[in-house]
Amino acid sequence: MDGLRTILLAEDNPKDVELTLEAMAENSLANHIIVVKDGVEALEYLRCQGKYKLRKTGNPALILLDIKMPRMDGIEVLRNIRSDDKLKRIPVVVLTSSREENDLINTYELGVNAYVLKPVDFKQFIEAVKQIGSFWAVLNELPPERSQ
Amino acid sequence: MYKRVKTHDLVIAEEEKAKRASELVIANEEKGKRADELIIAEEEKAERADELVIANEDKAERADELIIANHEKDKRVAELIIANKEKEKRASELIIANKELVFQNGEKQKRADELIIANKKLAYQNEEKEKRAKELSIANIELAFQNDEKEKRAKELSVANKELQFQNIEKEKRASELILVNKEQEAFSYSVSHDLRAPLRHINGYVDLLLSRFYDSLPEKGRHYLDNIADSSSKMGTLIDDLLQFSRLGRQEKQLVDLDMNIIVHDVLVPIKHDNSERNIKWHIAKLPHVYGDQALLRLVWTNLLSNAVKFTHTREKAIIEINVLDENDSFIFSIHDNGVGFDMQYAQKLFGVFQRLHPTDEFEGTGIGLANVHNIILRHRGRTWAEAEPDKGATFYFSLPKNKEN
Repeated sequence: MDGLRTILLAEDNPKDVELTLEAMAENSLANHIIVVKDGVEALEYLRCQGKYKLRKTGNPALILLDIKMPRMDGIEVLRNIRSDDKLKRIPVVVLTSSREENDLINTYELGVNAYVLKPVDFKQFIEAVKQIGSFWAVLNELPPERSQ
Repeated sequence: MYKRVKTHDLVIAEEEKAKRASELVIANEEKGKRADELIIAEEEKAERADELVIANEDKAERADELIIANHEKDKRVAELIIANKEKEKRASELIIANKELVFQNGEKQKRADELIIANKKLAYQNEEKEKRAKELSIANIELAFQNDEKEKRAKELSVANKELQFQNIEKEKRASELILVNKEQEAFSYSVSHDLRAPLRHINGYVDLLLSRFYDSLPEKGRHYLDNIADSSSKMGTLIDDLLQFSRLGRQEKQLVDLDMNIIVHDVLVPIKHDNSERNIKWHIAKLPHVYGDQALLRLVWTNLLSNAVKFTHTREKAIIEINVLDENDSFIFSIHDNGVGFDMQYAQKLFGVFQRLHPTDEFEGTGIGLANVHNIILRHRGRTWAEAEPDKGATFYFSLPKNKEN
């Protein structure tokens, strides 16, 4: 570990991306953040496919997953991750605007590690990002990665 | 001596013998004669014996005949005896038969009397029957009329049935439309939850960034405008959250269980009392009954009503809040009375509407969703909500809950 654990942020809205990155910066979370704009791209990154064919291998320390995304939504991404032997141990935190009961049930049944509602208030949002980042990307111990 | 006598005597004896021989001849002759005579007599006797035999035979014959005749007589006598007995029997039978006949005659007479009575009855019954027949004839006419009516009604019913069938089809259509509407509503609230909140969050985020990063370079007016933008967008966030809660409550499945209202009110009051510990509030809480209801939903009802009572008495130095219950036949009526600012009854029907407010927000905060939720929840428990108040003289909010389980 070089101390810069990678966080994968799957979020289609550029403003949300920007605000999330701002919140990360506010909290001095110096992690390496990869941003993907939908579920398909998220899986391409995780499986080193498509435009991520040549990326350095290795799983991110955390996946921050939005639910409502074009092409493939967050629940489908989660389903794919949890049924993939190489990916299923990655901590996944859903970060979404949706408080829908069905989304909560579905994601927990699929084995999500946490479900966080994006607070409307930006100060609360910064606080939420701070807590998620410091816990999952710093405090939390990761399981050993499966060898190829 | 004896020999001398003998010679002499012999001569004499010879003479005598001769004599006796001749006499014997004669006697023999006599005897022959008599033997003949005897034979003849014997023959006669045999003849007579034969005759006697014959006679005897005749006699025997006659005797036999007599015996037979006697037997016959005996038989006849026996027969006569039997015949007599028969006659006697018949005679006694006849006596019995006579008695029987006498009795039967008596019976016949009795029956004849009875028949006369019966005839009279029959005659009466016949009259009755005729009367009834006439009545039946009238009734038949009536029935015929009623049948006509029934047929008419049957036709009407058939029309009504078709109408009902049509209505059922319509209902099914409406039910499926409602399911569709519900799904649309779910999609709507999902969209509200996600899509409406996102831009709000962005407004808030950028306003915040602007204020934190460029606060010093902003003029006073500019900061004021940004404050108002932040305030409004945060208010909109609360409204959206309230609207979502309201929509969720309307869709949420309710689970009816036996609930002790004392416990619910107690639990609900804990955080309310905690948040208002600086206030002087006097609580009067009556003993409350058990009800059938959804625990989470009814907690929300009490939370809203009690928070309102606290909120609208905050101008009072000493707030008095009373919780009472009225047992009214098939339902309980709960009431929450406060000595707060009250309201004008002419706006009472607006109270339970979504986002309806009777007081300015700067005096009493809130979005106006609380009572709409109360109304919605109580309605879903088949109860009613209403209120009584007077401006500045406090308000009483009521809600009823049916006692039976099936709601």
